[in-house]
Amino acid sequence: MFHSKRFRLIAGFLIVPFFAGGIFLFIGGYLLFHPMVQESAKQVRLSLNAADNIYNAQIKYVKVALEITILGEGFRFSLIQRDIPDLIDRLERMSVHSELDFAGIVTNSGSTLCRIGENSIPGDNVQPENPIAQHAINHRLKTAGTVVLSKTFMAHENPELSGRIQFYPMEHNNQDTIAQDTTADDEKKACLAIAAAIPIFAQRTNGELIGILYGGILLNQSTGIVDLVQKSVFPVGIQKETSLPTASIFFDTFRVATNMLDENGNRAIGTQVSGEVKEQVLVRGNQWTTREFCLTDRYIATYKPIEDIFGKRVGMSSIAILESNYSTIQRNFILFFIMATFIGTMIAIGMGFLLVYRILVPVHHLVKASQAVSDGYLNPEIGPVSKDPEIALLQKTFKDMVESMKRRRMASQSQILQSEKQASVGRLAAGVAHEINNPLTGVLTYTHMLLRRKDITDDIRSDLQVVAESTDRVRKIVKGLLDFSRQTKLDPETADINRLVDATIKLIENQALVKGVSVQFNRGENLPMFVLDRSQIQSVLLNIMINALDATEPSGLIEITTIAALSANDTGHRGVEIIISDSGCGIASDNLDKLFEPFFSTKEVGKGTGLGLSVSFGIVKEHGGNIRVQSEEGKGTKFFVWLPIDKPKDQPIDKQGEQNADFSRG
Amino acid sequence: MQILVVDDEGIVLESCRRVLEPEGFEVLLVKSADEALAAIENKGPALLLIDLKMPIHDGIYLMKELKKREIDTPAIVMSGYSTKETIEEADIMGACRFLPKPFTPDELLETVRQVLERR
Repeated sequence: MFHSKRFRLIAGFLIVPFFAGGIFLFIGGYLLFHPMVQESAKQVRLSLNAADNIYNAQIKYVKVALEITILGEGFRFSLIQRDIPDLIDRLERMSVHSELDFAGIVTNSGSTLCRIGENSIPGDNVQPENPIAQHAINHRLKTAGTVVLSKTFMAHENPELSGRIQFYPMEHNNQDTIAQDTTADDEKKACLAIAAAIPIFAQRTNGELIGILYGGILLNQSTGIVDLVQKSVFPVGIQKETSLPTASIFFDTFRVATNMLDENGNRAIGTQVSGEVKEQVLVRGNQWTTREFCLTDRYIATYKPIEDIFGKRVGMSSIAILESNYSTIQRNFILFFIMATFIGTMIAIGMGFLLVYRILVPVHHLVKASQAVSDGYLNPEIGPVSKDPEIALLQKTFKDMVESMKRRRMASQSQILQSEKQASVGRLAAGVAHEINNPLTGVLTYTHMLLRRKDITDDIRSDLQVVAESTDRVRKIVKGLLDFSRQTKLDPETADINRLVDATIKLIENQALVKGVSVQFNRGENLPMFVLDRSQIQSVLLNIMINALDATEPSGLIEITTIAALSANDTGHRGVEIIISDSGCGIASDNLDKLFEPFFSTKEVGKGTGLGLSVSFGIVKEHGGNIRVQSEEGKGTKFFVWLPIDKPKDQPIDKQGEQNADFSRG
Repeated sequence: MQILVVDDEGIVLESCRRVLEPEGFEVLLVKSADEALAAIENKGPALLLIDLKMPIHDGIYLMKELKKREIDTPAIVMSGYSTKETIEEADIMGACRFLPKPFTPDELLETVRQVLERR
């Protein structure tokens, strides 16, 4: 019982941190993580906008580089004069300064005049179409933007560069922007570039179109733009370099420029996006944010379509953040709550044990002690006094209770002893009386028969007289024993206590008169009628009065008082007290305790059996009352006979009906 | 006049004989209730002196038997154990008087005379 209580208590303490910890884990693991991912997705989208601006600025940069080149009359003059070496020189310088991958001049008919690189003066063979220059010719306007360049075009433009880079097939989109050369599958492949083309007119502002200056930067396998985006949008230092967000540029569904690394640490060029991203971004033209697995990790990535100068969606730009950045936070979060739960649990267990030792152990002692008490052992061990004031109070109350039980037990033990004595003496008396009385009959009869004879001498007669008198004494003693033994059954009837006292006084009046002792009765007023065994109570009163008379010297006084009184030892039980006080010799304090013991007598041998008060005590007890004595040697003795008005409490009432009958009578 | 005395104690029987015979009564002495029943049937005594406490069948048994046989001979019940209860019991069974033991010859004669006079 003790153990289960202790563990229930501790379990009760554990539930709280477990429950709280569980809730926090849920909040931390799910409710907080979810909006955090949402927030990071939003951040990625904003980053992509910034990346877009950088991309557009790059286009503008190419355009400005071209515009600066044609400023002044020198370039136009050389073009008009067809001074090819000068033009190439100018193109080379521009390319070097502006880091252009390709640049050249196209005539107003669309054929390439000259360009940078090995193959700077093309021959007469068929030239692949130059989409950016053609756009400028068609619209007679400056053109800048993203273009798709066929592998064939690039092979003509810059064979060294086109040998280095990877081309990808155009699958679903913008077939017409690819060079019309369809000689081989390989030739359907293309790459992505940002480029510009500036029409050059004969006069500075107007006039005949004399050529187109074009130039651009290849995006395939380029590092410039993506690294610039990474550096400017996510400065190193804010996040760890290894978990930096990455920027990518896609040609169609192929990753052509990126700083996302594959498992070998190389740039993950050539990987493809999922069908979902292709559908959402390339086909529908949406900006699309998603959580996806890419290469080796999970990413939060956002994609945006790139349109070329014809307004076709030819690729995508993308920013991706490693989800582990956030899952680390989530893991830390969960770890924190697990730790908090663990610490909470430890504290709860600690408190549980503290409680066990401060409360349950003393309580356990008390339980053991009360078991000992219920088994009758009244000196139980209750353990050390608890520091807890309430437990200490409980311990003290328990101690007090046991003390009062001890006192009561001692009192009741002496009472039990008294009634046991009476019972055993009673049984003995009954047996002895019967056995003695038969031979005693013989003794009495024969003695008296002898005494009737006339032929005996006087001294024989006087001897026989002694035998007869002694036998009479024996007879009285045996009768006393019998009286003592028959205290069991009462013969209750209604009686007036004052009249009973009157009748009893009458019985001793003559003796008192002879002895010269006056008897005074202080009659109590308005005393209730009693239900009692009249003859037994009378014998009690008579016994005490005779004792009083015996103890009182001539000219002494016996005073009898009846008065309504509460019980001296019971709790407020109502009753009547009959006080018999005499001015006699008093009782020695040593003898007061033995007064009610059977066969105790201070009278000289032959004058008392020592049973009178013992019998009286039994009779009064039987009525639910009690007898007390107050005595002072030489001054007198007071006997208090108290009888209850109501039925004694310990007298059980068998049936409900009886109780009702009593009430109706009353 | 015949008086039957029933008692298991010889000294009591002899005492009664000693007291009653000189007074002119014919005294029959028996030691048990069963002997008493037989003697009552045969002799028809005028008075019974019955002891209450006897082995096998006691005085109460004897009184009951007499009642059963519709014999209404007056009976004096004696007992050395004269408690209120035993006196009452004897009274109920139809005893005329209760004579507590031990008794003096005078007490015995007085009781016997009173019962006989009342008849």
